[in-house]
Amino acid sequence: MINVALLGNPNVGKTTLYNALTGSNQYVGNWPGVTVDKKEGFLDKDIKIVDLPGIYAMDTFSNEEKVSKKFLEEGDVDLILNIVDSSNLSRNLYLTTQLKQFNKPIILALNMIDISEAKGIDIDYKKLSEELNVEVIPIIAGKNKGLDKIQERLKRGSFNSPLDSHKYDFSTEKEAYEFIEKVLSISVKEQDNKKETITEKLDRWVLHPFLAYPIFILLMSVMFELTFSWVGQPLSDLLDGFLNDTFIPSVENILASTSPWFKSLIVDGIISGVGGIIVLLPIILVLFMCITILEDSGYMARVAFMMDKLMRKMGLSGKAFIPMIIGFGCTVPAIMTARTLESEKDRKLTALLVPFMSCNARLPVYTVFAAVFFESHRGLVVSSLYLLGIIVAFLLGILFKNTYFKKDEEPFIIEIPEYKMPKLSSIYKQTKDKAMGFLKKASTIIFAMSVVVWFLSNFNIHGMVNEVNDSILASIGSVIAPLFEPLGFGNWQSAVSLLSGLLAKESVLASMQVIFAGDLSVILPEHFTTISAYAFLVFILLYTPCISVIGTMKKEYGTKLTLFSIFFQLIIAWISAFLVFNIGSLIF
Amino acid sequence: MSICNLKLGEKGIISSINGDSKLIKRLFALGCIEGTEVELRRRAPLGDPIIINFRGFDLAIRKNDAKHIMLKK
Repeated sequence: MINVALLGNPNVGKTTLYNALTGSNQYVGNWPGVTVDKKEGFLDKDIKIVDLPGIYAMDTFSNEEKVSKKFLEEGDVDLILNIVDSSNLSRNLYLTTQLKQFNKPIILALNMIDISEAKGIDIDYKKLSEELNVEVIPIIAGKNKGLDKIQERLKRGSFNSPLDSHKYDFSTEKEAYEFIEKVLSISVKEQDNKKETITEKLDRWVLHPFLAYPIFILLMSVMFELTFSWVGQPLSDLLDGFLNDTFIPSVENILASTSPWFKSLIVDGIISGVGGIIVLLPIILVLFMCITILEDSGYMARVAFMMDKLMRKMGLSGKAFIPMIIGFGCTVPAIMTARTLESEKDRKLTALLVPFMSCNARLPVYTVFAAVFFESHRGLVVSSLYLLGIIVAFLLGILFKNTYFKKDEEPFIIEIPEYKMPKLSSIYKQTKDKAMGFLKKASTIIFAMSVVVWFLSNFNIHGMVNEVNDSILASIGSVIAPLFEPLGFGNWQSAVSLLSGLLAKESVLASMQVIFAGDLSVILPEHFTTISAYAFLVFILLYTPCISVIGTMKKEYGTKLTLFSIFFQLIIAWISAFLVFNIGSLIF
Repeated sequence: MSICNLKLGEKGIISSINGDSKLIKRLFALGCIEGTEVELRRRAPLGDPIIINFRGFDLAIRKNDAKHIMLKK
């Protein structure tokens, strides 16, 4: 078995090369103790390629760098495959000089030689190879050129360890860069052709002082329209229709002769529960496709740049703005996107704050309550909730910035890469990976939760019940209902609806329809005043998100942060609803 | 003077970098070191951060950090 470590700066085509070499033969995990992806793939069964995080250096102490360094020191590496941007060698080779210190054989994959040629950079591969004592292979990863040479070379084997680390033991960065400049002066000839690049032309509009934000809002609107009106939602509705009108009836037919409890478990429990999540798949796919396109094109880095000043106020960098926006659609992909943030602190803080962005599934509850209680101010009430979510996230961000995450302040510097045409295969692959991850979750944790909730809502200690009112869920509801008394909605029905909202926020309304059994516009005012109705909506907005989110949280950030997030949101929701109800009751 | 004093499109040569040690380490690793030519490329629509260019690539950096990158007069 040959162990190959793939390393390189961010934005130099490392992922493209990795995908091209390993195809679908990949495994993604986590490095122990940090939320950094551990990606391993196989070129053939004897050549393992480990895709290390994109880094600029090995000594600035980020988790990504620590992971890479530790792996090179302890991971039994036979060969380092170092991909560099040939149009930007001086910065890229700095990492190379640090890799040289490990005394491992290195293949230097010079990527994007078409771009460097167009820029008038003429590289003498042989001289570069001699100067650095590495093997040099020029490639264009985005156009599949030269990749066969890398594959051939890896398969041929027999790599020689250079044992020249002593030459690269520089005492300062300046020394290292002086060395690099010397190497480049021997191996590279650069013509000065000062043409305005496409990137510069585009940026004049995209980062224009007045047009930048309108362009951003336009792009975001197109993304949300695609997701929620043009493609994602219609497909999701189709799937939902198929599930309810075709699939469930036929399953009921097949199970007609089985006992009622079994039929109910399969249909009401598992199929409704898991199916209800799977119908979200088209929405998540479309949203992710859009994000991948924006990310791969280089636009997201610019969004981070534009939004940094705002986001910094809540202790986050500009990059965290994207997950926040996505959170208005669905919290699950938002938390998954938070993974692309640079520092672990940003990822965690974002994951904690994203659920306060009111997700799409909560909207039906707002709409129905607003129609019943706030006839003439519906729009105002609904938008006030969205705004409240943002304000709460903002305040908590400030709070966390000064307490929990205080020590981890990271300087914000991000590379603004050149614009690139997103590659179809990369979009397809990334979207597919997300879909598989989502389905896997639906078939495990959500499956289990569905069974549990079905059991609780259909049984009591004496056996199966016909009415949810007699179920264990209702008993639990009665037990916890007093907790909501100070918030103005201490009835067990609300408590049970809120509990079912843990499964999916859409189920709050569905449960209310089942439990109250009748016209909500008549029944709801019997249980809520105008003020307590608003307090209830505030609670819905802020309390613990659905189990899909909890499952995603657990997968990405582990049990501790997930538990913290669950209870912390419950407390915030309780306090906010309490304030709304009591201050509201005093005023009105 | 620091990078923040440059006009858009203006270039300067770095003389020293002060401030937070983590920041210095990062900038050094990227090749933002004494003697490097640096250009102020762009300001964010809200005025901060800024984009600077050195060694052929664009880097976004907050003014608060950039003011520690001093230029030769």
